[in-house]
Parts: sequence; structure tokens; C-alpha cells
Amino acid sequence: MNPSDPVIVLKDIRKRYGTFEALKGIDLTIPAGELFGFLGPNGAGKTTLIRILTGILKPTTGTVTIGGADLLTQPEIAKSRIGYVPDRPYLYEKLTPLEYFDFVAGLYALPEGQARQRGEEMLHRFTLWEWRDELIESFSHGMKQKVAMSAALLHDPDILVVDEPTVGLDPRSVKIVRDFFKDLVRRGKTIFLTTHTLSVAEDLCDRIGIIHHGTLVALGTIDALREQARSPGSDLESIFLKLTEEEDLPPPAVTSPAA
Amino acid sequence: MTASFLLIPAVQGLRRQLRKRHPKVLIALVVGGLLVALALYYGLYRFLAHVARAPMLGPIVGPMIGNLLVARFLEMIFLALFFMVVFSSIIAAFSAFYLDDEIRLLIASPIRITHIFWSRFILMLAESSWMVLAFFTPMFFAFASALKSPWWGYLVFLCYLGMYLLLPNILGALLALILSIFFPIRQMRKVFQFLSALVLAMMIIFFRFLEPEKLLNPRYFSSISSYILNLRAPTMEYFPSAWIQQASLTLFDGNLIGSLTTAWPLAATLLAGLVLLHVAAQRFYLTSWQASLEAVENQVLSLEWVRRALILPFRTLRPEHRVVVEKEITIFLRDPAIFSQIFMMAAIVFVYGYNLAILPLKDLPSLYSGEINDSMVYFNGPFIGFILAAISMRFVFPSISLEGRAFWAVKASPLQPSRLMWVKFFFYLGPILGLGLILCYISNMLFKVTHPLLFWLSYLNVSLMAIVITALAIGLGALYARFDSDNPLKIAGSFGGFVFMILSAVYVVNLLLLQAYPLFRLYFIRFYPLTQPAAKVFIGLSFFLLLICTIAWVYIPLRQGQEAIERYEPE
Repeated sequence: MNPSDPVIVLKDIRKRYGTFEALKGIDLTIPAGELFGFLGPNGAGKTTLIRILTGILKPTTGTVTIGGADLLTQPEIAKSRIGYVPDRPYLYEKLTPLEYFDFVAGLYALPEGQARQRGEEMLHRFTLWEWRDELIESFSHGMKQKVAMSAALLHDPDILVVDEPTVGLDPRSVKIVRDFFKDLVRRGKTIFLTTHTLSVAEDLCDRIGIIHHGTLVALGTIDALREQARSPGSDLESIFLKLTEEEDLPPPAVTSPAA
Repeated sequence: MTASFLLIPAVQGLRRQLRKRHPKVLIALVVGGLLVALALYYGLYRFLAHVARAPMLGPIVGPMIGNLLVARFLEMIFLALFFMVVFSSIIAAFSAFYLDDEIRLLIASPIRITHIFWSRFILMLAESSWMVLAFFTPMFFAFASALKSPWWGYLVFLCYLGMYLLLPNILGALLALILSIFFPIRQMRKVFQFLSALVLAMMIIFFRFLEPEKLLNPRYFSSISSYILNLRAPTMEYFPSAWIQQASLTLFDGNLIGSLTTAWPLAATLLAGLVLLHVAAQRFYLTSWQASLEAVENQVLSLEWVRRALILPFRTLRPEHRVVVEKEITIFLRDPAIFSQIFMMAAIVFVYGYNLAILPLKDLPSLYSGEINDSMVYFNGPFIGFILAAISMRFVFPSISLEGRAFWAVKASPLQPSRLMWVKFFFYLGPILGLGLILCYISNMLFKVTHPLLFWLSYLNVSLMAIVITALAIGLGALYARFDSDNPLKIAGSFGGFVFMILSAVYVVNLLLLQAYPLFRLYFIRFYPLTQPAAKVFIGLSFFLLLICTIAWVYIPLRQGQEAIERYEPE
């Protein structure tokens, strides 16, 4: 596969929950080696799209192709190319981090020794080494997030899909994660991330997509988004607010309880 | 804001759960449940009506002693009910008072602490008592019918039963509150589990040493007067079981005023218990809840060598199968409830073996004893099936649910959920089948089975039951998975667990019915030569149908479960 070949191709992705349409026909192509940021207000459909992309949810219609493999018809091949870090790191609480890594490595049919070595490396990198024999149930949210991120990278995936990577992390850990993402992209990996921390997106992402009410309302580099929002020189926050503003809703009135 | 207001989310949750089920499934379950209740009622009623007449003792002494016997059985059942509810309320109290997630939100709100406590108590009451209430009510009604109660006796009895069930729940809640003051919740949980296992073991031993089977046989007593005296004396005089038994007997006799007078110690104890619990909640609930937030202890080291030994035989499996098995073993051994649960299961198996050992087979005329011993093997099958189902309900059925919210990791991986199910099926089949075969071997040894057909048929039946019960536990465990719960007892006691037990019983009936004709022809009338070709065809057809049915009983639940977890969309 050439570096410029698309590794993620989403075609007309729709997701319906009863009468509610969470995604209304998303088309997206992401080339190898890109760090793609996916932004949107709460409830816009980011997490739904990410779960479809990782094979956890099935779209109502549309196709997802990962590195040339169709996620619906060849799920084993497609999923083996992805590492996924969810926004809420629910893990098997009665395992230690190393046992959890062993479990995840098995799911990806990795040889035991290789997984162990990589897991230990990740624990050192994320400063969790001294916690290696503790049960995950005693970990804080941020520590669990780091374990989930380490586990997602055990099988050295071509694509890393990360939902809200910096939530619950302390500033030092946020820096470690940022640097790590940059390093991964340098090594030709593709990263698809969602975040509400716009400074992270602005700093890291090659391209950004903004979703609103289940529709992709903007897509491109920061400069392209500025142009689209007709806001030259603006930062990403201003662009985001402009592109996702609710035209039909008046701003909420703020009154004191005594009034 | 009242305690009942705080129950609205639980009621809404239950309503949502029911709405999710197809109406036809709900109707089938209600009808199935009612049929089981009816069978329980009618079977026990016939037995009690016969015992109440005691025809072997003559028309005058018979009914006198018979009624005493029924009264004694009633007290024993009340006593058993009390201990069972104390046991389940202790377990339910941990979740309801300390471990459920929503308690943090409630404690942080300006709601009065006693209101929070009583709302949690009602949830605990429902969780610990609904199943025993559903199971015991038809049994008590059978007593009422056997003792010829008037119609209003049944209604008043339900009020007595409600009051009686409250008592062990109050005791369970009080114990939880008091001990939580002295121990942080995690350690306390262990202490409690140990205590509850101890209570259960004591109860089992206590009942066994009462030897209820001897009550049916006056020959065990030196004289008829000592027999009657033994029957008249309550098992535990100053205990609620004796009070409710006396009140119920007077009620079934048609004496409402007398019954209400007899029930006063029960009502007074209940009132005192409620006041005591309210005061205890006011003083200790908040403090003990805050103490429950203390750090979790590390339980890795205690059973590490057992874990390593158990996972060793699976090292050669393919990685994706090996890790699933290893995770099952690891999580199983690190469940804090593990010892008390294993202890309880061992107690069930012990009681089963002990009961077999004391069956008065030696009292039967020697000419028939061989025949009866052989036949007992056939009828013993359902008992082994029940034990296997009870153990599977606790250990196998929750297995898929216990993947919990971490199940996203499997869904996002290349491992198909169906493979996970099959690995779990084969993994749990080993111990369930092994246990079934051991129980079968013990019972065959105790019965000294002589006929080869019954000998081999018993092993076949146990093997088929083990396979179907494991498939049902895994399949229905997936179909009715509760990924939001980490309490195996809660999962086992859920709607799906109930369906699992009902269907396990239906399969056992299915198995026995299909074997009835071959057994009748090949064993009970074996001295008549098997010459008619039609009989041979029917025998062949019966076994063929049994095979087909068993395959269906394995395939359908696993298939349904597989579809359910493939459809499942994690949070």
C-alpha cells in the first residue's frame, strides 16, 4: 500500500436508533500517515461514528473500508488493523495491567512473548511500571486511560482510533500522549481522534472534520476551515463555534434564583 | 421527598426491562411459572393430605397424628424460609446500602439520610425475597388446603407471610449496618460472606439432625406417646417460625380472632425491629457508607498459585482461546464471594449425598429392594439435574454478563463473539459434566444398581443434562446479559436466571418423557420378550427423538445468545 493510499474510507454512513437518525450519510476518506481530528458538539454523532469505524456498532447503511478490507464482510482483517481507545476506559477490573495486555494480545492472536515485551515498554512509557502487579480496579480514570491506550497499541496497528484521549489525564500525561501521537504519525501510522480540547486538535491534526447533528459540516486543514467559516485569522475555537452555532435557538436567558 | 419517591428510577428500570421483552415471551413465562406453582401446590397438597390422614395408623389416631405431622412440617418450612431470607438479605444489603453507583448521587443530595436508607431497604427487600416468596407461597397454600382452611384464611395468611418475611430482612439489614461500623466494606464483605456461609451450613446441619424422615416412621420412637410429644413440641419455641406456625394453624382452623391473638409476638417483634432499624440507620448509615469508600485491597497474591496451576493445562490452546479461559479462571478466583459460594455449593452436594445415604432402603422387603434401588436411579436423574442447574445458575449463567462494560474490547477485536461463547461453553462443560458424573457414580454406588440398562442410562442422562444445562446457561446468559452488573448473584437472580431454571426443568421433563416408553418396555416389563416390531420401532424412535431434541436444546439457546451478543452495542 502506498503512503498516500486511503486507509479509512467511509461511504454514506447512516445510523438510526428508532426514529432518531444519529448519522445522516457521512462520507470520509483518510490517507495513511494522517492525524485526523473529528470534532463536534455533544450528541453530534462523534462517538457513534467512532464505534462504527471500530466495528463495535453496525451502521444502518453504508460501508467502512479499513486498509482495503470491508469491515462488515471481512471484520477479522479490518479489525486487526485498528487499535481503539474508548472515551470511557472500562477494563477488566480484576486483572493487573500485564494480565490485561496478555488478554488483549490473545484476542489479536499475538505471540505471548512479543505482547509481554511491548506491554512492559508501554507501562514504562506511561509511567505505570510500578503499578504492574496491582488490580486495575484500584486505578484512577487517567491510569485506566493509559492502560487502555497501551493495550490498543500492543498489536502495532496501522490505525489508532482514539475517543477523547486527554480526558482525565494530568498535564504531564497529556504531553506524553501528544508527543507519542506525533511519534506514531512520523512512523507512518494513521490516527483518528475526537476531542473537545480544541488546542490539542489545532496543535496535532493535519485535517479536521466537524460533525453537527449527524452531518459532516466542515472538512479540511485549519486554513480550509477558516475559509469555509469566512473567519480569516481566527483560531479553531472561533471557527468551531461559528460552524456549529444553532441558528434557530436564541441564547439561553440567565436569571438569578431570586428573580 | 419520601423514600417511595426514590424508588421511581428502579420502578422505571423494571418497566423498561419488561417492555424490552416480547409480550409472547412474557405470557409464556407467566404461564410456565404458574404451571410450576400449580404443580408444586398440587403435589405437596396430595402429599400433605395423605400425611394428615395417616391411614396406616387407623381412622382415630391417624388424623390426630397426621395433623401434628403436617403442623411440624409447616414449622420446619417457616424455619428454612427464615434462614434462606436472612442469607439472601445479607448479600442484597451490600449492594443496596453500599455498593450501587447511584448511592453517591443520593448521599450528595439534600435528601434525609433515613429516607435514602428506607428506599434502599425496600430495594433490598424486593431483591432478597421475591424469588422465595414466589416459590414458597404455593407451598404454604398447599398446607392451607390440606388443613382445610376457609377462603379468607389464604388472604390473611398472605399478610402474616409479609410480616414474617420482613423480620429476616430487618435482621440482615441490621447486621450489615452494625458490622459496617467496625470493618471497612471490602473486608466486611468477606466477613459477612463467611458468616452467611456459616449460617447456611449450620442450618443445613440443623435440618439434617432433625431427621424429618424419621417423623414419618413411628418405629423410630420408643412409644407412641413419646412420638406424639415429640411432634407437639415446637422445634424452636421462642422463634418467629413457631409464632407464625401457631398463628397460621389457628387461622387455617377458621379461628380468626384466636389467630390474631396468637400472632401478636410476631407483630410486636416486627414493630420493635423496624424502630430499631430506623434508629440504627439514623445513627450509623452515613458513617458506615463513608467508611465503605476506603481503598480496595489487592487480592492478587492470595490465590496466585491456584490460578497458575489451573491455567497450566490450557497453555497449548490457540492464543485467542487460551486468553479467554485464563481470564475466566483469574476473575473467578478473584471474586471476593468465591469461598462462600463454593462452600454453599459444596453444602448442596453434601446434603444430596447425605440424604441418599440415609434413605431407608434397608427397611424395604428384601425381595423388592433390588428392584426399587434400580428404579431410584432413574428417578434420581432429575435431582442431579437440579443440582447442576443450581450450580450453573450461579457460576455459568453470569459468565457472559461478567464481561461487563469491558466487553467493548472483545467487540473491537478480530475475535468473533460467537467464538467467545463456544470457548466458554466448552470451558464450563468440563466441570459441570465432571460434577454430574461424580454425583451419578456416588448415587449408583449407594443404590447398588444391578441392571446394566439403568446403570448406563443414568450416565447417559447426566451427560445429556450437563451438556444442555451448560448450553442453556451460556446461551440464555448471553440473551439476557446484564453487562451493567458486576454481582454474579444479582445476575443469577434476574429474570434471565429464572428463565434458565424453568427451561432446565422443562428439558429434564422432556428427557424423562422421551425415555418413559423404552424404559417401561426394556426394564419394567423386561420379562416379556420383545417380539413386536412396533415396540422396537418405538424404542428406536424415542431415542432418535431424544437425540434430535437434545441437539435442538443445545443449538437454539447458543444460537439465540450468539445473535444477542452480536447485536449488542456497548456503551
